[in-house]
Amino acid sequence: MTPLLHLQDLSVDLPLGGLFSRGKALNILAGITLDLPRGQTLGLVGESGSGKTTLARAILGLQPSSGTMLFDGKPLASRSDYRAIRRRSALMFQDAAASLSPRMNVEQAITEPFTIHREPMGRRRDRAAELLAEVGLPAAFAARFPHELSGGQARRVGVARALALKPELVIADEPTAGLDVSVQADILNLMADLKERHGLSYLVITHNLALIRHVADRIAVLYLGRLVETGPTAEIFAVPAHPYTQSLIAAEPKPDPRKRRADLAIQGEIPGVLRRPRACEFHTRCPLAQEICRQDEPVLRTIAPGRQARCHLIEEKTLNRETTDELDHQSPQLS
Amino acid sequence: MPSDAEIAPAEPARQGRERRAAGRVLHRSSLRVLLRDPMGALGLILVVTFVGMAVFAPWLAPYDPLKLDVMNKFQPPSWAHPAGTDQLGRDLLSRIIYGARTALSIALTSVGLAGIGGLILGMIAGYGPRWLDGILVLIFDSVSSLPMIMLALAVITIIGPGTDTLILVVVTVSIPAYARLIRAQTLGMAQSDFIVAERAMGASGARILIRHLLPNVVGPLVILLSMDVPIVIMLEAGLSYLNLGVRPPTPSWGNILYDGYTSLRSAPHMVLIAGLPLVLSTLGFTFLGEGLRDALDPKLVKGGA
Repeated sequence: MTPLLHLQDLSVDLPLGGLFSRGKALNILAGITLDLPRGQTLGLVGESGSGKTTLARAILGLQPSSGTMLFDGKPLASRSDYRAIRRRSALMFQDAAASLSPRMNVEQAITEPFTIHREPMGRRRDRAAELLAEVGLPAAFAARFPHELSGGQARRVGVARALALKPELVIADEPTAGLDVSVQADILNLMADLKERHGLSYLVITHNLALIRHVADRIAVLYLGRLVETGPTAEIFAVPAHPYTQSLIAAEPKPDPRKRRADLAIQGEIPGVLRRPRACEFHTRCPLAQEICRQDEPVLRTIAPGRQARCHLIEEKTLNRETTDELDHQSPQLS
Repeated sequence: MPSDAEIAPAEPARQGRERRAAGRVLHRSSLRVLLRDPMGALGLILVVTFVGMAVFAPWLAPYDPLKLDVMNKFQPPSWAHPAGTDQLGRDLLSRIIYGARTALSIALTSVGLAGIGGLILGMIAGYGPRWLDGILVLIFDSVSSLPMIMLALAVITIIGPGTDTLILVVVTVSIPAYARLIRAQTLGMAQSDFIVAERAMGASGARILIRHLLPNVVGPLVILLSMDVPIVIMLEAGLSYLNLGVRPPTPSWGNILYDGYTSLRSAPHMVLIAGLPLVLSTLGFTFLGEGLRDALDPKLVKGGA
């Protein structure tokens, strides 16, 4: 079956300078190759500045990119292709309240997709009430303006608007950012419920590993605009291959102090695309970095069925099974 | 649009969100804030008074502003002539009232036209392609480097004085300032999440510009326009005073001021009476502009209750 979304060697370059300094560009993303099968959830993980949001925008054509993108098997190239993908997908924003036009009330906001794509919606009022009911908000919310909504309510309105045209793909950027834990759970349950009912595919972008472990079928880890590891969620959490993934998982708060590991902690900040390290991007912060990491750029290669990683040291690591076993939260002998 | 009463009371919003309460440009609570501020209220009253004077001049003026009565020239204020008469015996009160018509028709027309022009060009520069923005900004910078008075004098020399010349000069000189303001607003807003959201939903450029950007960028322009009206009124008076603006005998505050100045010793009341509406209308529009700035500030609209 063709995946709903297929990215092949996607890259994004931001042109620099103005009228007199053409030609220079800042490389934000490169070599992104990903598949999102229909009905599945792909989690995109990485620190701030790793290019997660840029990737989401590139998929919808909001950000010029190069490479190949197939949506439902058809290439995205012209303006009308992008209009089509925007019709059949929806973007949920990190700051849901800010993604609503401040002068439109909820009813106008959530029925706007119908107007934009000239889709029949029946009576605006009824359709709005229907959409609000779907996300668990009373119909009275239709008359509210964005500044009159709480964080969780704004998020639900965002979901309602995303669902308006029955999309196939929903791109959710930090769907739980800035919400109380109980509201986070509500939103995640709502998203799972809607996925079930409407057969949605999600691309969930987050730096929250607990969230991604809970919702994603597959994970893609980004570091400085490069894919460093992809694979099924359970396997990556059980045996992370790339040192960066290991560090991320090791950095997760753990209730048991004996499972905390200092040796895998990464130091410092993400270097930033302006001062991109040569060769392997991660060598400046990698606890295992060796000479080769400073010399040659690694490539993304298959390390196990369905799993890929971009690291020179993977073979050595796989020999070292004990190291990785200790990272396995579920391993019964340690608990 | 639902009235305030129909909207259920909002839950306490976070601080950061207050900024977004900008809401509609001038909805009821904005007006309430404007009227609660004594300066704003005074400004509004003065502006409404002058606009009323201009609109209802034929009914308000006790005499024909052009009717000569040389026997009664240089009359000081009296019951028959509350503001006295000028060197040709014309009733000054009537001339002042008609002068409001001259001043406001020039000021409002030119500021209005410049505002519309600035709005359109500014939004094109802010949301259009970058190369077009570059060209427009270059033009704005060139035009606004010309001093208004110098340009006015040059244009008057070429095409002669008159109302149309004045309006032309003011519109030409003011457009860049308004366009720059709107461009900056538009540029900033084009990156905001809700505009990106509209694009992600597939909204067309025209729809984004008209439905989403326009209502969100005009607020500051309204304030600037209000505060620029007195500048144009002063310019008109100044040029008329120099005999380069409105041609006599059309009543204009500048003309009256000039006539008063030439007969300052024999009839000092003329200068005072012609200066008063100039000062009051300037204060009125400036206060209104400042009041609007507060009234359109969503933080005050929300928290002011």
